[in-house]
Parts: sequence; C-alpha cells; structure tokens
Amino acid sequence: MLRSMLEAFKNLFKPVRTIQYPAEDIVLPNGYRGLIEYGIDECIFCDKCEKVCPPGAILFYQHEGGEKEYRYNPWLCIYCGECVRACPKPEEALWQSETKQRSAVKEDGANEGWFVYEDACKKSRQRYVEAKKADKIQNKSEE
Amino acid sequence: MKKTIQIPLGSQHISLLEPIRFKFECENEKIIGVDADVGFVHRGVELACTRSFEFKQVGYVVARVCGLCAITHSLSYTLAVEKLLGYEANDRIKYLRMLMVELDRIHSHMLCLAHTAENAGFEALFMQIMGDRELVMDVQEAISGNRVQFDYISIGGVNRDLTPELSALIHKNLNTLSEKIDALLGLFDNNWSLSLKYKGLGVLSLEDAYTYNALGPLARAAGLATDVRAETSDFPYEALGYTMILESTGDIHARNFVRLREIQNSIAMCRNIVDNLPLGEIQEKAKGKPNGEAVVRVEAPRGELFYLVRGNGQNMLERVRIKTPTFSAIPAMMEVFKGAEYADAPAILASFDPCMSCTAK
Repeated sequence: MLRSMLEAFKNLFKPVRTIQYPAEDIVLPNGYRGLIEYGIDECIFCDKCEKVCPPGAILFYQHEGGEKEYRYNPWLCIYCGECVRACPKPEEALWQSETKQRSAVKEDGANEGWFVYEDACKKSRQRYVEAKKADKIQNKSEE
Repeated sequence: MKKTIQIPLGSQHISLLEPIRFKFECENEKIIGVDADVGFVHRGVELACTRSFEFKQVGYVVARVCGLCAITHSLSYTLAVEKLLGYEANDRIKYLRMLMVELDRIHSHMLCLAHTAENAGFEALFMQIMGDRELVMDVQEAISGNRVQFDYISIGGVNRDLTPELSALIHKNLNTLSEKIDALLGLFDNNWSLSLKYKGLGVLSLEDAYTYNALGPLARAAGLATDVRAETSDFPYEALGYTMILESTGDIHARNFVRLREIQNSIAMCRNIVDNLPLGEIQEKAKGKPNGEAVVRVEAPRGELFYLVRGNGQNMLERVRIKTPTFSAIPAMMEVFKGAEYADAPAILASFDPCMSCTAK
C-alpha cells in the first residue's frame, strides 16, 4: 500500500510520454514519404505515372493544341511512391518530398472538385482523339 | 417458461474495438450458447481487386484490408502473384520482407496485450504497453516512411533499403523493448489482480483446438503445434532462430504468455536479420502477367492468412480470395465462450485479438 502510494506520487513528476501535439511539433523521420513533386521542364509526358497510380491521384489534361497539363490530388494520393519508381526521369521530373500535406478544407474541393476534373480529363482526351481522326480524314480527302 | 436469457454483446459496446456481435444464451450468469455475427464493416475489397484495379496496384489495395497486419496482407498477395509470374526473390529481399513482418507481429501482439490488460481493469498497464509499442512503430516508420500504411512491399522486391543508421536504430529500440518485455513477463505472471482475470478463464482444451480448427496464438496456447512459419519454406525462418512457442493450459494467461514469448522470439529474429543481411538488389524485374492459380499461406500475427489469386494472362485478375485468421478462428472462439461467466466475456474476447475489419473486408 505504502509502496504503491509512493509510486503514484513519483509518477506525478515523471515527464509525459505523449507528444503535446499542437504546442509541440511531431518529428518526422528521415525519408518520410511525403508529397509527390513535379518538374514540368523535365517531364516527357509519357503518362506512366498516371497509369500506375493505384488511387488515380495523377491525371493529365489534354489541351487541344496537343500539350498536356499535369494535375495531382494530394488528398487522394496514398504516397506509395509507385509513380516515382515508374518515372523514366526520377528526381528530375517526379520525386517524393518529405513535406507533409496539410488537411483539406472545403475550398480545396478534394472530392467533388476532383470528380469534376476526372470527368473533364476523360472528355478532353476523347475530344482530342476525335479531332485527330477528323484531321486524318480531312487530310486524306485533300490528297 | 423459458429458463435462459439472451444477452447481446456488440455490435457497439465499450469493451469492443471493432464491430462484432455475439448473442449469448445465458443461464443465470453462465453462457451456454453463442451466436456470432461479423460483417458490419464490409467494404467489398475482393471485388474491387478484380474490377477496379490492375494486378500491380492490388498489392496496395489489399494492404488496406487491415491496419494492423497491413504488411502481411501485401506480402501474401505479392508472393501469390510472384508465384504466378515464376519469379523468386533474392535473399536480401526475403530478409527485408521478413524483418517487416516480424516487426508487425511485435506491435500487433503488444496491442492485444494492452487490450487484455485494459479489459482486466488495468488501465495503467494498457497505457504503458501502448507507450512501449511506439518503439516498434518508430522503427517501422523509419524503415518504410509511414506509420501505419507501410506500402513497403511491391511485386519484384521491396521499396526501400536498410541503411546503417536504420540498423542502429532497430538495435537500439529493440534492446529497450526487450527489457520492457522481460518486465512484462514477470508482471503478467505474478500480478495478483491480473491473474484473477486470466488464470483458468476462457479455457480452450487441446481436443477442442483440434476439433474447431483453432489457429495462431489461440491454438498454440492450447498446445496445438501449428504455425505456418514452420510449415512452409517461403522464408528461411529456421535459419534465423525461429522457435515455436507452446503453452498447455489454453486459458487467457497462456495466450498472453504465448504472445509475450513470441515477441521475444521475434525480437531475436529481427536482430539476426539485421546482423546477417545478405547483399543484393532490393528491386528486381518481375515480368509478365499472372496466368493460373496460386495459393499462399503466411503466418499473420493472429494466425494463418490465406490468399488465392487467379489470373488469366491479363492486367485484371479473375479472382482474389482472402481468408483471414479471425474468420477461421470463429468456431473455436464460440466454443471458448460456452461455460464462461458473462462478466468475463469482454476479457475473453480481447484475448482472441479479433480483427473484424480483416474478417469482413
């Protein structure tokens, strides 16, 4: 009884084992799997990252002129790094940083906004393919 | 007039971590009949694996079946697909995969021990064990780069290598943990109030373990020598100091002891793996598409995890079947409840270490 009371009294002065989170920062280990970052200058637009991504967090929007636009949803991403491993130019065009993504707020449109964008990407490609087909037919008829 | 009374436990109950429902048929305080219902957290993972994801992505999908044994799920799936592709990993990859699985076992067992302590009314011990568990979680986070969803294993290898700093961290943390586990062994054995809730309760006899096909620590506590690690040769467990831990009494105390001693065994194995890591590539090319059917068994923390993968030479798989250890152990669990007091039911249930999200998937 006395011993347990002494033990309980000692425990009052022991440091806490938990991290006092908002006041104290959580220390991330070296090599923490954070955000996927993209370098547009080095990208060759092979779309490999888009194909391997398990949740489909990387999408390319097809512009009518032929160029593509990279778009990435950090709240859908599972940070597995599969895209970086698939990239032909890792560390230059696509790499994994150690920064942690902040939580999404409503304005980010992490879900609804992304669904709309997914749809737009799909349609942009169909449009592009159809336009190319039409071009081909026109070229042939001109010949 | 009816002499028995029906008392439900779950699907929402303060002593439960995850949704499972038991309907106990009680005679006074004694349980004489049990009816179990799982499947409150069905997510349709198996169908998603064959409809929405290509076989290279499925490894990351099945890892999300369970938060505690994520690495075991992705490992089993990867092994099955690698069998279909006719690829065999080199020794370094095997060792690194084993290291993560054993670390996973340590922290999963510690979680279970913490909850049995909590259900015996020992909140302080729960906090202490959960605090010590962070040592392993930190190691896993440092190795894989994430705390819970490791995404460490991919088809053809592992995603990250072990650096010398990481090896030092593993040794440091495991040394600290090893001392704490020794102290826990004494505590679980000698503490009077814990033994009131553990010794002689929830007994599964050896015959019942055979009859109802118990597995994992539940079976080994009853003296049934069953462990996939000893039965399969996918990994060189024997060479790394694996020993099967058996107890004979089959009660909650025996289950706790099997877990504690398995943690010690896993710590020893982890040290061996880190010290004797062979040289080699960590990522190799596994070409082709899965064609045919493969079956893989891996020892998850709770027992045998079974995977069946069938492919037809295309990117999409034809069938993925996951049989989790908790699902297989339900008949044995129901048998243990019969004859126990209703007040002991939460403690007994916690000692099974049930994983309902795995089971319902």
